[in-house]
Amino acid sequence: MIDIIQKRKYTYWFSGVLAALSIAAIAVFGLRLGLDFNGGTMIEVRFAKTPAPQVSEIQGALATLDLRSLTVQATGDNGAIIRFLASDDTVNGQVLDELKKTDADLSVLRTDFIGASVSGDIRKNAIWGTLLSVVAIAAYIAFAFRKVSFPIGSWEYGWGAVIALAHDLLITTGFFALFGKFLGVEVGVPFIAALLTILGYSVNDTIVVYDRIRENLLRSRTKSDFETVVNRSVNETMSRSINTSLTVLIVLAAVAVFGGEGVRWFSVALLLGVTFGTYSSIFVASALLVSRYRMRER
Amino acid sequence: MKQKEKIRWQFAGVLGLALVSGLLAYPKVFSYLPIPNAGQVEQKLKVNLGLDLQGGIHLEYAADTSQVPAGKKAEALQAALSVVERRVNAFGVGESVIQLSKSGSEDRIIVELPGVKDIEEAKKMLKETPFLEFRESNAEALSGKITQANDDSKKQAEEILVRAKNGEDFATLAKTYSQDPGSKDKGGDLGFAKKGMFVPEFDAVIFRDDFQSGTVYPELVESQFGWHIIKKIEERGEGDAREVHTAHILFPKRSMDTVSDSVKYKATGLSGKNLKSAAVDYQSQGFGTPQVSLQFDAEGAKLFADITKRNVGKQVAIFLDGEIVSAPTVQNEIPDGRAVITGNFTLAEVKDLVRRLNEGALPVPITLVGQQSIDASLGDSALKQSLFAGFIGLLAVSVFMILYYRFLGFGAVFALLIYSAMLLAIFRLSGYTPFPITLTLSGIAGFILSIGIAVDANVLIFERTREELSYGKTVAKSLEEGFNRAWPSIRDGHVSTLITTVVLTILGTGFVKGFAVILALGVLLSLFTAVVLVHTWLRFVVGDWAEGHKTLLVAPKRAPEAEEGESRNIESGIKNGKKDPPVKKKKSKHKKR
Repeated sequence: MIDIIQKRKYTYWFSGVLAALSIAAIAVFGLRLGLDFNGGTMIEVRFAKTPAPQVSEIQGALATLDLRSLTVQATGDNGAIIRFLASDDTVNGQVLDELKKTDADLSVLRTDFIGASVSGDIRKNAIWGTLLSVVAIAAYIAFAFRKVSFPIGSWEYGWGAVIALAHDLLITTGFFALFGKFLGVEVGVPFIAALLTILGYSVNDTIVVYDRIRENLLRSRTKSDFETVVNRSVNETMSRSINTSLTVLIVLAAVAVFGGEGVRWFSVALLLGVTFGTYSSIFVASALLVSRYRMRER
Repeated sequence: MKQKEKIRWQFAGVLGLALVSGLLAYPKVFSYLPIPNAGQVEQKLKVNLGLDLQGGIHLEYAADTSQVPAGKKAEALQAALSVVERRVNAFGVGESVIQLSKSGSEDRIIVELPGVKDIEEAKKMLKETPFLEFRESNAEALSGKITQANDDSKKQAEEILVRAKNGEDFATLAKTYSQDPGSKDKGGDLGFAKKGMFVPEFDAVIFRDDFQSGTVYPELVESQFGWHIIKKIEERGEGDAREVHTAHILFPKRSMDTVSDSVKYKATGLSGKNLKSAAVDYQSQGFGTPQVSLQFDAEGAKLFADITKRNVGKQVAIFLDGEIVSAPTVQNEIPDGRAVITGNFTLAEVKDLVRRLNEGALPVPITLVGQQSIDASLGDSALKQSLFAGFIGLLAVSVFMILYYRFLGFGAVFALLIYSAMLLAIFRLSGYTPFPITLTLSGIAGFILSIGIAVDANVLIFERTREELSYGKTVAKSLEEGFNRAWPSIRDGHVSTLITTVVLTILGTGFVKGFAVILALGVLLSLFTAVVLVHTWLRFVVGDWAEGHKTLLVAPKRAPEAEEGESRNIESGIKNGKKDPPVKKKKSKHKKR
């Protein structure tokens, strides 16, 4: 039996430091927001002629169009990715025309254009979606645990889970601030989807532990120390928690490694979220319950 | 025994399910079977691939319903939708997706064209859907405004004239007040000019002999353009070669002619949505200028009758995509809903117009606000990669389950395979329903994730079983307890995942929706396969033989320490060592792929 609850000080320190670092990373580096949130246009082309026009040549060709935040990036595939904050479709057409002047036979692999209203929607939906999910989950947990009102109210279970979840999301986002700064990884709708999925899934783990706590509490005839009951529950469910997460991590790792570019970072986000989610379910969520209990006792 | 028989039947059911799912998952098999319409069935059972997997275009248009009267918005949008649909079908794209969506107060039309390579071509084709409007003259309202504007203009001219005469710098006044774009920035300077270059009223003044150089003409000069303040700078030459260097400040005069068409005419509510058909019509003027004859629907006919009645003797303008195409004068009221558009059309233009009108005239104008295009080669490689990843994932999870949960693990893997087949079968069958499921890259990610989640349920059950075994219960009993006790956790966990998928589905766009829908489906389905199927299989397969080979089933678990004063069912102490070394894995009846 491992003294998880008794040694919860270490847990709080560890999580606290990670959380602080994440906040720092986000504040200092910021998240690299992609097209989805900023709006704009991204065009990926592959040139037919070799050597392909240089970045500077492309920039020169587009200089007359007065594009905002123009970036041009060469891709390994004899191509280039051109990004800018577009105003509308006619500008996009002009860009394509100018590009065709540098190489008449180029092929356009991809044109993504997200107008300001669409990206505004996406931003709004992302925020609402997250808020809604958190509230819904907290409510669901409170409802599922309504019969266990002693020694702490059923809402406390909800809060414990929510704080653990917030901790998971925060750390995952912190990592992506780092990825954005050093690896150029952009954050878009897939990232938000990953966060929400982490929300929904990571709560699984927490529920597994809470379930066991509930069962032990209901069973325990003697007024065993709440702390001891929780600690025992966590120990009993540890292999369960780890294994359920392990199965998901295995498949996610497969996707992260073998899946295409389109889902790679999405699965990395999920990987991070599930890993920390498991950690927080085992260590943080239950520790919070006990701490709350202790606070009440004073 | 009744019980045993029941289990046998259930197991047979499971096998049957496996078979059907397998068939549906690989419909190619159908073509080998002697059923009628095998080929068609195979076609209908195709999995719908999303844009990011087969390449294609996603276009998002905002529809401007501001001109549409309030109650008719939904109708107009529906009409626009069907027009776009007709256009897309004319383009020859199969399996396209066209739908309405709403974001905030804006109505949007989303068009997805799989397999289309040239996005510019597609956009042009869609844009070609003309927006047809009939408008009537706004003259009364306008003429009042025009007179007022002209009065103001003249008044201002008079004021500036006074200032100019008082010696204020002419060039500065011109730069500030003149509305002649050609000269105002030059201080109104018009350069040297001979007689005849300007309009007669202008000339009459500047060539006057008593008009001194360097002075401002003391009165306003009115021409067709408006009122001018003229300053003569200098002159040179004699007789016919005489040239005068002048500058002027222009205060424009507006008339109906200078007003733009779209202001001159106001909307009537009669537009493309009321058009039933258009045709090329040769006027009975002999060889005829080709014309377009229009036939309105019932509502349109009525509207048109009212419009023509109101405007007898006046012009009614026909606008196409915001530009005036023709403005015939109404001869008399037209009650039958037929109209004719005449103009300087060539036959080719008329035919083109008729074609576009028939394929659909948009009742509301649309602007492009978002687009995404994926090249087919990108889509192809994405598909291959993600399928491979899924395969690896499935394999890895299976290995893990078997290693850790041994014989029970086999059951889980068996259920997992059936689960995959069933999910695939559902995708294919959805082609028959009004809700066909489109598989996208994110959808595959969701599928793979759901595999991990499906197996979770089994982990929970087996862990519980291990625990019960460690208390010394029989295998059969432990299994049952495992299933029963684990169920609440499984249920709660899956519900919470479902909650977020619901939120994602409602709020999400393409990528997110695809992911969420498939994840939700998977979670629900896995509740069935991981619990019911595994249960049936295990009950069938695990018999008395298992009692002696507990470790064959699952790795033993240390019993948790008992709490004092608690009643727990501890039978015999269990040694944590292995009883008999596991001989070999029993051959099981599950299907291996």
